[in-house]
Amino acid sequence: MLRKLIYMLFILSLLLGTSLVSIGQDSAMVEFEITQEMVDASPYLQSVIPRLNQEYDTSEFAKDPPYRIALAAQGTSNAWSALFDAHAYWYVEHLGEDVVSEFLYGDAQASADIQVPQVEDLLAQEPDALILVPMGAAALSAPVERAMMQGVPVVLCASAVETDNFVTEVGTNLYAIGATLAQWLIDTVGEDGDFLMMTGIPGTSTSDIMEEGALAVFDSYGIELLDKQAGFWSPAEGKKIMETWLAQHGDEIDGIWSGGAQMVQGMISAYEDAEMSIPPIAGGEMQNGFLRSAIEHGFEFYAWMYPNAMITICLDAVIQILQGEPIPRFIDFVDTMPEARPFTDAEAEDYYRPRWSDDVHGPVTMPDEKLAELGFLVEEE
Amino acid sequence: MSVAKPYESATSVGGWPLRLRLFIANYGVYIALLALLLAATVLTPRLYDVNTIAVVMRQASQLGIVAIGQTLILLVAGLDLSVGGIFLMTSIVVADVTNGRDELVIPAILIALALGALVGLGNGVLVTKRRVPPFVATLGMLVLVKGATQAYTKGVPGGFVPDILGIVNQSWFVLSIPLLLWLGLNAAFIFVLRRTVYGRKVYAVGSNIEAARLSGISVDAIRISVYILGSCLAVASGIVLTGYVGYVDRFIGTGLELDSIAAAIVGGTAFVGGRGGLLGTIAGVLIIQILSTMALLMGLDIEVQFIIKGLVILGAVTLYSLANVEA
Repeated sequence: MLRKLIYMLFILSLLLGTSLVSIGQDSAMVEFEITQEMVDASPYLQSVIPRLNQEYDTSEFAKDPPYRIALAAQGTSNAWSALFDAHAYWYVEHLGEDVVSEFLYGDAQASADIQVPQVEDLLAQEPDALILVPMGAAALSAPVERAMMQGVPVVLCASAVETDNFVTEVGTNLYAIGATLAQWLIDTVGEDGDFLMMTGIPGTSTSDIMEEGALAVFDSYGIELLDKQAGFWSPAEGKKIMETWLAQHGDEIDGIWSGGAQMVQGMISAYEDAEMSIPPIAGGEMQNGFLRSAIEHGFEFYAWMYPNAMITICLDAVIQILQGEPIPRFIDFVDTMPEARPFTDAEAEDYYRPRWSDDVHGPVTMPDEKLAELGFLVEEE
Repeated sequence: MSVAKPYESATSVGGWPLRLRLFIANYGVYIALLALLLAATVLTPRLYDVNTIAVVMRQASQLGIVAIGQTLILLVAGLDLSVGGIFLMTSIVVADVTNGRDELVIPAILIALALGALVGLGNGVLVTKRRVPPFVATLGMLVLVKGATQAYTKGVPGGFVPDILGIVNQSWFVLSIPLLLWLGLNAAFIFVLRRTVYGRKVYAVGSNIEAARLSGISVDAIRISVYILGSCLAVASGIVLTGYVGYVDRFIGTGLELDSIAAAIVGGTAFVGGRGGLLGTIAGVLIIQILSTMALLMGLDIEVQFIIKGLVILGAVTLYSLANVEA
């Protein structure tokens, strides 16, 4: 609720021209200013900010349980998505057949091309509601609008589309996350630092929106980056690029902004090979492999969380919609999962889980037995 | 046996003089490499730092090893897209079999090589015995291998890579294990292609399959063996990549299957088989890798990098076409 209050203050202060946003707490507290110019330049902020204060009247969707719910997920692609799906199945089971009688699932294999027809197939089965993890903001806009026209309420989970014609979105303000990472780097290193930036996959909304927020903050300080490249959320790409950066800039590098922890693992490996000390890195996550490397190498970092367990919030939202209860048009997962907050290297040990395998992204809300079934628990020695 | 220049037999009427055409066809890629290196002295002088050269050579080796196999396959008028799946398969096998234990690296490598050989055998049998076009056969195999790895890992490749594979990250000035492996494999296969009966048969099959068959060459066996070699070289590249990343990355080696074809084509190996060789492919690999590093040093966006790579491939094919030899 504190976050909502901050956003409301933020909206009010926008009327005065600028807004101070605070994200995180304790050692991870970062404050940065979002100006009216930033909002004017960002379609994402223009979409999210009004929705922070809106509710959707869902009475038209009200019906008695049990419900048939469709999930168009990212699907088989990486550990984040595997745990997302595992959380979904576990939570549906937890809700029971009295609430969810049928759970329809679409596996997009992280591709918008696959997901678009898949959503059509799911809608053809006339579900009571659709949860969508959009693989492309533009590509999935039309299917979302068709679902709403068909009377199927749509909950966007973990990412956005380019239309506002859906019921609610569960996620977090990705622009603010990108901006926060940049601001932490500037606070830690100083405005005159030389920074590098590695983004995720160009064209995906999660990556593009974070990049937009970060660049806005760097620009507001007049900082010119040494370089910006796409690392495709891949350790291998991250390492290749970092090796060249190290050869080119070497000790000049004061800090690095990264759009994901996977790429940071590649960066760490490149620094290790070059036998150089690692500068502050903004862009870690609660990913066990990243945390293990970070603790081992002991460098300064700022991490954020994008919990795959947010699917449980998306499922709760669907139930609320189908019960005809009004629902906020933007649900920040931090309100429901306060543990999913940013943290720094000072808390790395607290977030590292020795029993989790390297690819587990936390926080995890499933019981350990489920993690073990999926092979995500390391055998104790 | 002396080996003919790749385009010794090219003749045509009209267009550029024959000597110029042959010169471009035979030496164009080396001139292009030289021009690129000269351009780098002005555009990105940092390319000549020892550290940068070491990075370029190490990254070129990853592409280069798989490009050797791709060149062999192109020489028999084939093509192999399935190598894209072999990288991840290799990485998964290494992590799964060893679970981080150094002493199990050799068995893991042997298992990966056996699986790779099986994939190559499948490609070869489909192309020769079932007469499936190489593009379709190897694309199908790529999907099959990727599907099998996803089914095996439930979509979550994991496990630990043994520390000993980290040796591929060590450099002594510009020398590194991947570079030595690449150079060694090149030397071996150049010898095989130029100095052995098997090498002559590879060129003969690629030049004219019916003539080769009529002259008593076991065409199918040669083609199948080349596909198996190509897959095993992809496994070797996959092992180097796994050690390089130190992590089972779902996207490991992404794009190398197409880059390896591009390197061979830019290096002058004909798409229709029978012409070309590994020296050209080495130059092609270096051109692609140096361009990629130069683009990074210049801070060019990824989109521009793709455009440059595309233009180089198109430029090479156009040049060979203008020289009136098939590429």
